[in-house]
Amino acid sequence: MMDGTIIETKNLTKVYNGNIKAVSDLNISIREGEIYGLAGPNGAGKTTTINMLITRIAPTGGSATVGGFDIVRDSLAVRRLIGVVPQDFTADEDLTGRENIMMVSQFYDVPKAKAKENIGRLLKLVELEDAADRLVRTYSGGMRKRLELIIGLVHEPRILFLDEPTLGLDIQTRTQMWNYVREIQQKLNVTIILTSHYLEEIDALAGKVSIIDHGKVLITGSPSELKASLKGDIITMTLTDQKSADLMKTVPGVIEVVDAGPNTVKIKVDNADEALPRVINFISQHELSTIKLTVQKPSLDEVFLEYTGRSIRDEEGGMDRMKTAMNLRRARQ
Amino acid sequence: MSGLWPLTVRELKKWVRNPTFFFTGLIQPIFWIALFGSAFDITKFLSGPSGSAAASFLLDGAPNYITYIVGGVLTTMGLFTAMFAGTQIIFDRRLGPMGRFLSSPIRRSSIVFSKIISSVIRILPQVVILVVAAYLIPNGLKFVHGFTIVDVLVMATAIILIAFIFSSIFSVIATRMTNMQSIFGIVNLVNLPLMFVSYAMFSKAMMADWLGNIAQYNPVSWSAEAIRTVIINGSLTSSQWVQEGRWLGALAALAAGLLLLTYYLVEKEIRD
Repeated sequence: MMDGTIIETKNLTKVYNGNIKAVSDLNISIREGEIYGLAGPNGAGKTTTINMLITRIAPTGGSATVGGFDIVRDSLAVRRLIGVVPQDFTADEDLTGRENIMMVSQFYDVPKAKAKENIGRLLKLVELEDAADRLVRTYSGGMRKRLELIIGLVHEPRILFLDEPTLGLDIQTRTQMWNYVREIQQKLNVTIILTSHYLEEIDALAGKVSIIDHGKVLITGSPSELKASLKGDIITMTLTDQKSADLMKTVPGVIEVVDAGPNTVKIKVDNADEALPRVINFISQHELSTIKLTVQKPSLDEVFLEYTGRSIRDEEGGMDRMKTAMNLRRARQ
Repeated sequence: MSGLWPLTVRELKKWVRNPTFFFTGLIQPIFWIALFGSAFDITKFLSGPSGSAAASFLLDGAPNYITYIVGGVLTTMGLFTAMFAGTQIIFDRRLGPMGRFLSSPIRRSSIVFSKIISSVIRILPQVVILVVAAYLIPNGLKFVHGFTIVDVLVMATAIILIAFIFSSIFSVIATRMTNMQSIFGIVNLVNLPLMFVSYAMFSKAMMADWLGNIAQYNPVSWSAEAIRTVIINGSLTSSQWVQEGRWLGALAALAAGLLLLTYYLVEKEIRD
């Protein structure tokens, strides 16, 4: 654990049923105190990676250490060190929120007085104090997610795994969850490993991100580094006819112009704010008229597109991917 | 074994808080003793002095049928409750709590043992209610030799062992299953055979030879006979004590073996 590395994987691999390769030769290194994002589409191997790191399943190849402990040899030590917020709800619906957290605190042998104190503070953090003594069955989806978040924190773990923390939540609840996650990281000083297939979530929260697909890391960096690596903003323009669109290809002072559909071009520029006046001048000089004009600053979606050759929401590419994702899900059960 | 206590408390809370589950469990023994006590009582066909001699022979010397079967009904009730011990494991897997348990630093066996222990605890009030009901109904349970601490101890020991035996078998089965229908199917397949291929309701003298021969290997028979012997005879002769020891010893050995096996299997592999 030199240089503050808290999680390290070396060629971590998981093959299900001898042929379904969920994770292959994964190498990541996570520093203490950061929020580290694992991004990728469904079936990319995010949950499998998390499940190996939290010692719920054993790798079929490679190795990993969490907090200095080997995930296979010292799995119990790893489990004591970490908190987990799995993708699915885990709270018992027939118990109250408080009883659920209390039970989990006993799994970790947290002394009762200490547990009570922690539970009070955590309930306050996610604003669940009023609902704490109601049966979980009566909670809304957002409340249950908040409860899951703090159940994973009751024993004051050094590392928190968040697997798709906002899956299925509406947008307001999602941004609210983001605030809680930030607050947790700042106030409780934990390292957070976050998976999501919402790239804006990774962008909003993570200091560092690995984009993974087909069980492999495609690229790692901070969200801003990754976006900067794309070099440039995109101006997309639809004109009245193809001739005008072709003429746009001669616009000076841009990186490149490519076709992007009928009467439409994509203009790549260093900085759209400065290039746009030039483009507009060009249009008026040549008396062209535009039907539509959009400016796009790169988001992680573009980064993802750049490295995987497809959009993260692209479920086309189609049946094969869906099948892989479903097989994975089945094999995990 | 960290995790065992909080998980057992959880099971018991769920039991007490579910009124249907709780009260049906408590009413069930009354139904059972009343129905089985009347339905299967063949001694009513025997009348006169020669008839009561025959009845006494068929009932191993018990004064009436209810006294004869109380041990059998207690055992069967323990068996039926214990067979469902595993179903909660499937619910836990389906509804999510299993994910939490598996990522916590608790022993995996404590997940299963919490179900086993809580089902044993759930059976105990049923035992008390059943004995009281059997005693109160007309022509019911007669303690010819008084109700002693030996009766209580033998009843409790036999039923607890039966509960351990069958709840561990069915819990291990449940850890390998992902849906409820399969476990219910298995329970339905074996519950009545386990009850009728035993001396729970009928003595060996009343059975077809082949049935009586198989029944002697059924743990349900051991428990039923162990309880029956002390209730009917009161103070036992030394040879009866030896037989009593054999039955309880066999139950204890089987329970211990199965609990160890459960521990081994579950620690080795409990699937998500």
